Amino acid sequence: MRYSEEVLSRVREPQRAGTLSGSDVGTGEVGTLDEGTVVRIQVRKVRDRIAEARFKVFGCSAAIASASLVAEWLEGAAIDEAGTLTPERVVQKLELAPERAYVARMAVEAGRKAIDDSNH
Amino acid sequence: VAALVGAGSKDVIFTSGATEANNLAIKGAAKARAAEGADGAEGKRDHIVTVATEHKAVLDPIARLEKEGWRVTVLPVNGVGLVDMAALEAAISERTALVSVMAANNEIGVLQPIKDAAALAHAKGAWFHTDAVQAAGKVPFDVEQLDVDFASLSAHKVYGPKGVGALYVRSAFAKASADQRRLVAQIDGGGHERGLRSGTLNVPGIVGFGRAAELARAEMAAEAARVGALRDRLLAGLKAKTDGMRVNGAIHEATLVRLPGNLNVSFDGVDGEALLVSLDDVAVSSGAACTQAEPSHVLIALGLTKEQALASLRFGIGRGTTAPDVDAAAMKVSDVVARLRQMSPV
Repeated sequence: MRYSEEVLSRVREPQRAGTLSGSDVGTGEVGTLDEGTVVRIQVRKVRDRIAEARFKVFGCSAAIASASLVAEWLEGAAIDEAGTLTPERVVQKLELAPERAYVARMAVEAGRKAIDDSNH
Repeated sequence: VAALVGAGSKDVIFTSGATEANNLAIKGAAKARAAEGADGAEGKRDHIVTVATEHKAVLDPIARLEKEGWRVTVLPVNGVGLVDMAALEAAISERTALVSVMAANNEIGVLQPIKDAAALAHAKGAWFHTDAVQAAGKVPFDVEQLDVDFASLSAHKVYGPKGVGALYVRSAFAKASADQRRLVAQIDGGGHERGLRSGTLNVPGIVGFGRAAELARAEMAAEAARVGALRDRLLAGLKAKTDGMRVNGAIHEATLVRLPGNLNVSFDGVDGEALLVSLDDVAVSSGAACTQAEPSHVLIALGLTKEQALASLRFGIGRGTTAPDVDAAAMKVSDVVARLRQMSPV
């Protein structure tokens, strides 16, 4: 499996890995250990913007890079622009092979779930 | 090369590598023995015995013979990678043509009891082959003392050139006069190497192999002690910094059960691929290099799950490895494992 520099640098020096806590935090988790990949994204919403985003992930390099990219994109984004984040954009940015596109879908879905959760 | 394994110089057949040597031994022996009892069921030998943790260069030729009608028994190993001698004895019968058991495993370094295995084979009249690629030059390996009929060797595993290997053939099975009991060549044309492997010899490769074998033999005892101490240092370093780690394969028994330069460990709670990608400056491999991304068949044979097998690292400590190298490796691996575990939501 060959990865782009974009993936490798995110795996070797991951940014925004971690957890958020508090009543204003929304959490989205996708996948199971049995499936081999679990992505969790957490966001802290301040008014209509995402002030902070963090990820945790168990999975391959592509999963780590996808989760880190989603967290990076979400942090600072307005809630209504967060919906424009698509798996295709993640795949493109990270230059993921088609067989790894599923982890980009998982990371984006975890991000959306986190935002939904923070709306409730 | 012959001296490295205690053989006479005429008993070594040079090949393009150990894969060819294994193919020659296995297919050549099968072909030779198929002729026995061909005129009736009496004395017929149509069965081959091997072990699940063998290299693909042994398993694949045997799988091909199986497709051609040979009966094959692939014996399991126990949790530390050793073949069960009672199971081996039970598997070998008067119908067994060949038994092939590797001397040292390429992934977990475990040394099989070759002398005992060869004795079990010979007791039933079966021929005995061993893939000695990893053992020769690293630990004492003597074809006479072990009483093996065929032993495969590779030059580059003793720091010689790539593209050259050899098969030790017991002289009785190489004699043209005793044609009924003679290994059958797999490459014909010109009758080189006592008719067992035709083709112009790779002279530069063989000269390099000879010199590498000479050096390996001269330095074996000292190098085994040095490399073994470094392997133990690496293991101690990893253990001190990382929990949830298991060593794959037998190690530190009363007798020598593992190559001194081999360490193979699995880590709980990390993804093997992410682990490998993160270890950009440590030269490790996950299983055998040629079967990456698929879990190692050797580790699966030890009873590991697919996830455990994928989250395993094989460290090879060799002539160029120093104490600072192993310390740096232990530190880096421990750091990466800790980081990946910390990153995990489960």
